[in-house]
Amino acid sequence: MKGTMMNRRTWLTLALAATTTTMMAAGIPDRPEKLPVKPLVYDAPNPADYRTVLKSGPVAYVVPDRELPLVNISILVRTGDYLDPKGKEGLASLTGYLLSKGGIGSKTAEELDERLAFLAAHLNSGVSDSQGTVSLNLLSKDLDEGLQILREVLTEPKFQDDKIALRKQQLLQGMKQRNDDSSGIEFRERRFLIYGDDFYLNQHPTADSINSITQADLKEFHHKWFHPGNFIVAVNGDFDRAEMTAKLEKLFGDWPYKGEKPAAVPSNVTFAKPGIYLVDKDVNQGRVSLLLPGVFRDDPDYFAITVMNDILGGGGFTSRIVNRVRSDEGLAYSAGSGFPGGVYYRGAFLAVFQSKSGTVPYATSLVKEELEKMATAPVTEEELNTSKRSYIDTFPQNFATAAQVAGTFASDELTGRYAKEPTYWKTFRDKVNAVTAEDVKRVAKKYLTTDKVAILVVGKKEDILKGHPNHAVKLTDLSKGPLIDVPLRDPLTMKPMTK
Amino acid sequence: MKQLARFFVLLSLVAVTARGHAQQVSVEEKELSNGMKVLMLPRKGEPTISGGWVAHVGSANERPGITGIAHLFEHMMFKGTPTLGTKDYQKDLEIITEQERVRDLMRAEEAKVRAEYRKGEVDDPYKPENKTARYKELEKQFAELIKQQREIMVKNEFDRVYTAAGGSQMNAFTSTDMTAYFITVPANRLEFWMWMESERLLRPVFREFYAERDVVFEERRMRTESTPTGRLEEMFNAMFWESHPYSWPTVGWPSDIPAISKVQADDFYGLYYQPQNITLILVGDFDTTECAKLCENYFGRIPKGKQPAPDIVTLEMKQAGEKRMNGEAEANPMVDILYHTVPFGHKDSYALKVLGQLLSTRTGRLYKGMVLGKQVANETWARQDSQKWAGSFNIGAECKDGKSPEEVEAAIYAELEKLQKETVSVEELQKVKNNFAASEYRKLANNHAIMFQLIFNEGFGDWREINAAGPKVQAVTVDDVKRVATEYFTKENRAVATYTRKPGKAAPEGGDDIFAGLSEEQKTVIRKMQSSIQSESNVEKLKEALKQIEARMGGADAKSKPFLQTYQKLVTDRINALEKGTK
Repeated sequence: MKGTMMNRRTWLTLALAATTTTMMAAGIPDRPEKLPVKPLVYDAPNPADYRTVLKSGPVAYVVPDRELPLVNISILVRTGDYLDPKGKEGLASLTGYLLSKGGIGSKTAEELDERLAFLAAHLNSGVSDSQGTVSLNLLSKDLDEGLQILREVLTEPKFQDDKIALRKQQLLQGMKQRNDDSSGIEFRERRFLIYGDDFYLNQHPTADSINSITQADLKEFHHKWFHPGNFIVAVNGDFDRAEMTAKLEKLFGDWPYKGEKPAAVPSNVTFAKPGIYLVDKDVNQGRVSLLLPGVFRDDPDYFAITVMNDILGGGGFTSRIVNRVRSDEGLAYSAGSGFPGGVYYRGAFLAVFQSKSGTVPYATSLVKEELEKMATAPVTEEELNTSKRSYIDTFPQNFATAAQVAGTFASDELTGRYAKEPTYWKTFRDKVNAVTAEDVKRVAKKYLTTDKVAILVVGKKEDILKGHPNHAVKLTDLSKGPLIDVPLRDPLTMKPMTK
Repeated sequence: MKQLARFFVLLSLVAVTARGHAQQVSVEEKELSNGMKVLMLPRKGEPTISGGWVAHVGSANERPGITGIAHLFEHMMFKGTPTLGTKDYQKDLEIITEQERVRDLMRAEEAKVRAEYRKGEVDDPYKPENKTARYKELEKQFAELIKQQREIMVKNEFDRVYTAAGGSQMNAFTSTDMTAYFITVPANRLEFWMWMESERLLRPVFREFYAERDVVFEERRMRTESTPTGRLEEMFNAMFWESHPYSWPTVGWPSDIPAISKVQADDFYGLYYQPQNITLILVGDFDTTECAKLCENYFGRIPKGKQPAPDIVTLEMKQAGEKRMNGEAEANPMVDILYHTVPFGHKDSYALKVLGQLLSTRTGRLYKGMVLGKQVANETWARQDSQKWAGSFNIGAECKDGKSPEEVEAAIYAELEKLQKETVSVEELQKVKNNFAASEYRKLANNHAIMFQLIFNEGFGDWREINAAGPKVQAVTVDDVKRVATEYFTKENRAVATYTRKPGKAAPEGGDDIFAGLSEEQKTVIRKMQSSIQSESNVEKLKEALKQIEARMGGADAKSKPFLQTYQKLVTDRINALEKGTK
């Protein structure tokens, strides 16, 4: 004990000495901004340099990188959960999962798994809400064998019955956990509020829908959507570009069946009415989301919105919500906001945090206040500059690896950004730089309309409504809309459960 | 057949080692005049530098009463320096001193409430309702000081200047063994990084200490207390480690976090953040000569500590018998087993790592034996965890619906026994080794990833393991695997946790089959009835309904029988639940 006390004093004395003498002696300035900085010139990679339209159909981005003896191939597929037939919710996802795990033309599922494991190759496949992906990462010495396997995965998946049964069992059992974790409940209910009950993202698989899926359904789904006309390809790693292009032509040539072009991803979203939506869950920390209708990512306001959100709550410790709720008041560990632009359908603004039950109302009131301030008073030059510099100076990190270069451009191709704005990345920094304080205030006023906010709270109702003795505010004070009890949903049917 | 397989094994071995040199991470190591270690790995490609440093201290260095301090300290390191974070450093210091004076008085009040709690006079010493009147008064005084401090404070300025200079991915973590801080900066900001990191090491200012303590408590609530199995996992860990300080959670016990004082944090800093106890790590686009010079200029000015940070001397006691616990959680039933094994760099750690890989993954022993073969589990896991001071082997599985934790546990032991009695095939071992060899490349994806590898290896004991471990794993033999399986997987050496689902409204009542054999209309009716049955609390009424169902059952046709059976089950379950509740 004595020893540690001594150490502390030692430190204090030294620290004081350092302030007055050491600093100057070493020629170190008192603030880091005073250090000289050499300019950093960085040109964004140009998608056209890597883009190839294969004769067999797909557009491919081919990025050689000889540093490590690895090759990475990703095939993006125009498909998604939105193509699930009614009553068979979960079909797209099950097809995606089993594509690489249910056997192929020349191998059973077990044989394929063993072979890939022996080669230390990673083969993955999946279908998410608006995209499918099949990817293979392997040592470059095994490339030809890997491509042969990939061809069979794409053209001859077997969807073995035993693997279907196993996966269904895993899914059904996984469903039972739908109400276990408050974060899972929050994620799900947030989507109901943002997009509405009828939107495809809220058509969840149920025990019935999973049970009804047959092998024939999987084969039909696969045949319809998995063909070169729906593929975009990203390849990077240890290869010669011309040789890889030839190999890709072979991979996608002579497709054994003809598929279909999918319909556009739906955009029929409905945002919830203003109010407080409360899910009662017995945990000692409430999870809160303040929600507002958002924009598309190609909205002319998008860059102003991005900077605005960064200052408000997107920029971590430099942002206002974190400063207020976390650093000032110690009310939350995790707090912040997001304003992503939608690709196919309108996105949403969300401000989120978690706080102990009693301080949920007070912390919510602080976040709401920050939204209002944003819309009524201009941001400082310093805030604006910090946010803009951050986007501009970290820009090279978007393309730090060959995998990122290939992946980003392939994704732009799939989502139509490349066709619409081929210079998107080239002009990215200029677009950020052009945002002014007036722009920030204008978009805040336009979108942070706190009278329309839908507040989702997941936590212990009784304690949250009671509030905290140090703070007078009650949860019900925070919206002119009603307090709505949102029941948990039956995990197997997704029907709301009555108490 | 056998011949062919062996031939391939050889081929693949040759192929991996042929380019074996590529995976060597050629780090340049330097020691500064004050004993601080520097690891530099120049790497062209992306115009960034990932910079970090690891302090060789973690929660294992704590003691009861201040558990959580290493982690709280990590949070405090972002609060600034004399010039970053305040407009008036002298006044700031005065306020901080005054804050501590008030806090000392508050601590005395807290001690009084704890005394009342021990006598049973208050139900919870941390409830705001149970604060003393004097405490509330002091709380107001303290709030006033915070207000004064805010007037001269520049909020989160340390973060802001880094962000404005293009810094990103700035974060830190604390584990049982190490505390690490890291960031990625543009390549032209090397000296900027030196300034920021050396300043916060040389003269950190712990502003907002008490608000940050509350933040950490929220972190505890988020990660441990409001997750389905967080508390039970914490309890299992505390049961597994008996004498070793790994037994307490890194985030700290809930009683300790709110009691940690700034004085304790200062002591902790003095002891564990001395230059000799810190390693700097830089990966990216820079010149090593210039970098080394800057390191000496900036970090070399931090005075060397007078005495080295103490070693951890407590060894884990050898278990005298098997340890067991069962927990009810909002989670699917599962089994989790821990065996005491060996720490980082131990000669057996490589064979145990191989063993973990043999057991896990979709082509591993557990999945094949228990998910595909016996079909008792849905998911399985296995992993050797070589920590700095001691190690463990974790193995477990989620039960398949209808299978009990007992059956699953028995199936796990059956798999382990096979490894003890039969030698694994050379092919199976080679498959695992091939994956370790490939991961030597995969982990070198970018500056940030390489920096992390160096942080972990250095934090656990020696960065050189990044290059040394690969060959050692490749040298593991089938006999080594059998030997370690026999030596470590014994009953006396293990702790077993079984988890069963807590009954409650969030869980699907009565299993998954209540709708089996029903028509869509019948299902709809049952769903409606389900809620009214659940809200009925009069047992007599329910029993009456049950009698009526039984009466109708006799004359029911094939179509309505499953419906009546489901109805009957729901009512019976409800009666059971109510009767259980009154006992």
